Amino acid sequence: MGTMFVSLAVILAGGVAALLLCRQFTLMKLVTIATTTAGCGVGLFYSLSNLLSHAATIEISRNWLHLFTLAFKVDSISLFFLVPIFTIPPLALFYSFHYMGDKAKATRTAVNYFFFAVLVASMALVVTAANIITFALAWEIMSLSSFFLVIFDYQTKANRQAGYIYFIFAQGGAMFLFAAFALLYQHTGSFDFSTFATIPESAKLLVFILAFLCFGSKAGIFPLHLAKIQSGPAAPSHIAAIMSAVMSKMGIYAIFRMYLLLDATTPLIGQIVLVTGIGTGVLGVVYALAKQDLKELLAYSSVENIGIILIGLGIGMVGVSEQSQAMAFFGFAGAFMHVFNHSIFKSLLFMGAGAVSRQAKITNIDQLGGLMKRMPITGRAFLAGSVAISGLPPFSGFIGEFLIYYGAFYGISNHRLPFILAILAIVSLAVIGGLAAACFTKVVGLGFLGEPRTENAAKATEAGSSMTLIMVLLALTSLLIGVLPEPFIRLAFAGINDVPFTVGFDTQAFMGIVRQVSQTVAIFIGLLLLITLFRKILYLKKEIGSGGTWGCGFTQPTVRMQYTGTSYAAEMIDFYRPFVPVKKIYSGLSKIFPGKTTWETEVEDVAEINYQLRLIQPLLKFLHKLRWIQHGKIQLYIAYIVLAIIVLLLLL
Amino acid sequence: MESIFSFCFAILITPLLPALIKKVKACYAGQQGPPLLINYYTMAKLFKKGSVYSTSTTFVFRMGPVVGCATSLMMLLFFPMAGIAPLFSFHGDVLILFYLMGLGRFFTILAALDTASPFEGMGAAREAFFSTLAEATVFGILVLFFRITGSLSFAEFFSGSHPISLTGEHGALLILVIVALYIVMLTENSRVPVDDPATHLELTMIHEVMILDHSGPDLALIELGAWFKLLFYAGFLARIIDPFQLQNVWLNGLLFYAVVTFIYITIGTVESITARYKMNMVPKFILTPFILVFFATILTMELIK
Repeated sequence: MGTMFVSLAVILAGGVAALLLCRQFTLMKLVTIATTTAGCGVGLFYSLSNLLSHAATIEISRNWLHLFTLAFKVDSISLFFLVPIFTIPPLALFYSFHYMGDKAKATRTAVNYFFFAVLVASMALVVTAANIITFALAWEIMSLSSFFLVIFDYQTKANRQAGYIYFIFAQGGAMFLFAAFALLYQHTGSFDFSTFATIPESAKLLVFILAFLCFGSKAGIFPLHLAKIQSGPAAPSHIAAIMSAVMSKMGIYAIFRMYLLLDATTPLIGQIVLVTGIGTGVLGVVYALAKQDLKELLAYSSVENIGIILIGLGIGMVGVSEQSQAMAFFGFAGAFMHVFNHSIFKSLLFMGAGAVSRQAKITNIDQLGGLMKRMPITGRAFLAGSVAISGLPPFSGFIGEFLIYYGAFYGISNHRLPFILAILAIVSLAVIGGLAAACFTKVVGLGFLGEPRTENAAKATEAGSSMTLIMVLLALTSLLIGVLPEPFIRLAFAGINDVPFTVGFDTQAFMGIVRQVSQTVAIFIGLLLLITLFRKILYLKKEIGSGGTWGCGFTQPTVRMQYTGTSYAAEMIDFYRPFVPVKKIYSGLSKIFPGKTTWETEVEDVAEINYQLRLIQPLLKFLHKLRWIQHGKIQLYIAYIVLAIIVLLLLL
Repeated sequence: MESIFSFCFAILITPLLPALIKKVKACYAGQQGPPLLINYYTMAKLFKKGSVYSTSTTFVFRMGPVVGCATSLMMLLFFPMAGIAPLFSFHGDVLILFYLMGLGRFFTILAALDTASPFEGMGAAREAFFSTLAEATVFGILVLFFRITGSLSFAEFFSGSHPISLTGEHGALLILVIVALYIVMLTENSRVPVDDPATHLELTMIHEVMILDHSGPDLALIELGAWFKLLFYAGFLARIIDPFQLQNVWLNGLLFYAVVTFIYITIGTVESITARYKMNMVPKFILTPFILVFFATILTMELIK
């Protein structure tokens, strides 16, 4: 435990050093990268060594300001979540060396690095907190530091607005969290996490739902995902990578932790999580398919992956209430595996998008194209990430989904509701996989392949070496996990070591299957190489011509005739219409000799529309009636405060 | 030994069977049709040729055919053709195999988009759309089969204590599965009424338009991949339909390939007597088998205790 605090201290020192060195731009970046790497290295060593040696749970507590006790507890679940927390940030910082290349923004970059360090430290504290005070403190520091990271480009109005929405969601979510904690405190009279299980069964469901709303909005479950969608495109790419790949997993961690602490017997919790996961997964990927902005698309794809993780957790929870150890074990393990995998390939993809936005100055797929030739390394790494996130072998995305499938198949029992839920989970995983493949063929096929659609795309060049290096590293890791999954699956298994229900589950037989999977992948790669060789031989000493693409007889093709992302997705979007409204704006023809006409389509988020219509507008209407309270007279404001205190004193 | 022989035989016979479809269609049209060995000739011809590549394309375009062919071949490596154990098999192989098939599709679509052609983009969009719908049915079938056999492997589906068999206790459910799988086969292999490989207009094609720019050995690999895939689906169907498990390996094999041949003939017949559906009808057609399979799965709740 001490080792971890040392590593956090080093990371924070790096952040402070950035502030002090902000006049020496390059030096500052190097120092911060070095200290963060060192700190995270120590932390990673600590978490991995304890995780793999199945170290016993450690608890420590300290008195703080003579008022509160700060308590920390490290078990296998905390340790597992510490792994991505300490793995991804140094990579993201290294990537930012070239990405944050604007010397004029040196001070701002230093502030960004400072909050970055704070964010990393607070995330580590979130997963180790062991009482309400510590958790709430770490959670709030995490929300606030990430808010400052999001508004890095605060001069753009859209970014400020995104930051504002992010802030509202973070604090609105915290409100639900405090409600949940207040309920708990009311029953237990203690801040300690370990007392949660003692509250009456009837209160547990309510507490869980309240906490689920807060943690869900951080993770990005469907109707609460707006903050994530807004902040993803607004934040710098290395920040978006951290937030999407690591910070949203804090929501997952907290949901899982809350579930374990409450130890409720009602099967409803598992069912809620599973159904939310299915909805989040399917709608997330459909919206990802519908969006043309690269970063926005990736943000929706994160929503989809949170859905997959929740499906895994839900399968596990249903397994617990069904008393099926296999189902619970593989559900939880699959969710953990996907948490780890997603943190890698989602970072890769966000970094790829960052490289594109930096080099081509645009992120709209309908304006890109031909980047594979102009940015060969970024393009190849992005392709690898796309295969991985679509859950296709031989990359890592498949492994987590394989575990979840495995758990879900074992959940096919005789009880009606779990049976239907398991079938729904399997079928929706299949549909999500198919749609994700469609979505990422769109990104790669239309954004990176073909011909450039605009001048900007045509002029793009390869990104800086620190950026491409990290992307290649992440792509290779993804491939490695896909080809040799065994050690990584062991890691996920070690992560759920301290989950009470699955203790003692025999994984020997399954490890045999994992070896078979990796053998199958090896056979496939062998076959691929064999056919490639065969093809090479066939082409030996042959005439290879080149010419324009066959235009079906049309002789004057232009790049604007290429298929666009919008048209590629149109049919699929139309299929899910009631959930994915498409706004069409058509100027129409008015005169006998029509002038310029315009046609525009825009996919709107059904959650956003409903918030506007059912929540914001009525709320504004109501608040407008109270405007007279705010009149600008200071003396009356002071009177309000005095009045409030008196009322509180009388009531309490 | 048997397994290797069975695999090699399947590979060798692959080009023959699709020629049968052409022959049947010719018969319906009152024509003589091409010789049965036409596909072998085509292969030889394509292998001898060079290629012309579009200047728009990258390495992805060249990878498409290789990945497509390799993934289809994987299916044959793991599928127990003619009741003979496959070369490889393990509990859970169906999951990775259908996902590998997805990988093949992923690269076929990318190769099509790589050409910057609007026609190929259109084909790619349709392929992506229809395959997501077909995927749901495939996994529905896997759920049902897991329910019946308790296994997740092609080889174990048809052997073990509760094999899938028309004469078994769940034979009635399998009739629904056969219809569903047949429709999935037509969809995944771009046959009428989902797609018309013989149409003259690029705008109405799906699979054929995606490979417009491929030529020579690349085209040959794509064709081979498509035939392997069709053989896998036909074989899968044949194993469900064929209820006999004879002791004699040769007789069993003969019976199996007779059923496979029959399936190819029915494909030819369907292509001769129906027209391709309008594009907006196709999703409804592809969703039908999902409902059938889902219904069959619900029925198992009472049938299997």
